[in-house]
Amino acid sequence: MFICHYDIFTLHLPHNFKSIVMKTNYLFPNQFKRIGWLLFIPGVLFGIVFLIYQSQISFFNIKVFAVAEEPIFGNTNFFSISENNILDEISSLLLIIGALLIAFSKEKSEDEFISKIRLESLVWATYINYAILILAIIFVYDMAFLWVLIFNMFTLLIFFLVRFNWALYKFKNQISDEE
Amino acid sequence: MKNSIKVERAKKNITQAQLAELVSVSRQTINAIELGKYNLSTILSLKIAHVFNQSVHDIFELEDSDWESC
Repeated sequence: MFICHYDIFTLHLPHNFKSIVMKTNYLFPNQFKRIGWLLFIPGVLFGIVFLIYQSQISFFNIKVFAVAEEPIFGNTNFFSISENNILDEISSLLLIIGALLIAFSKEKSEDEFISKIRLESLVWATYINYAILILAIIFVYDMAFLWVLIFNMFTLLIFFLVRFNWALYKFKNQISDEE
Repeated sequence: MKNSIKVERAKKNITQAQLAELVSVSRQTINAIELGKYNLSTILSLKIAHVFNQSVHDIFELEDSDWESC
């Protein structure tokens, strides 16, 4: 009885398998990886410029709408208009959106093994990121800790990119046993 | 899990790259499966069996170690 059913099943396997492959719908198309790099690299450059010159570049001082703002001396304001140097905002947005697109765009030859590498790299990056954060919580204080938090906004994605691309490189250059 | 993909490929005289294309994965994935480094999905095992015109059981076989909890 069972064998009979099994035969029917194998006989009726569709020839076009693409139609029954589970679609991974949480990844961007491959072309978005390039867009990601085009955003990420200027993000890094703007970030470095901001770190060196801080708020000296007045060109980026504009009025912004703030849902919440708390100056070092003064009260917290909600839903106010205030002046802000937006170089760090631009840099952060470029870095985060760029890194997300690089990290989560499909590879040219995306398959289930690459999905496995992606998932492993994400877990690995999360461990490293929080291991460093835990050490920083214990050993870093005050303004120095604020800097840790600022960098921590990007490190998860960056650790992921490094681990994923390293694993992908190893995968693509694995020794074949093909004769 | 053991598999006889390499033997089946030899019988059919196709390369890893050709098999990879037939089941739409990369050649490296087929290589990793042949070397026993990767536990493939059910759907991919069904596709590979289909390419060789066999049932999944003829190509993939459980090993004792598969019953041990990880």
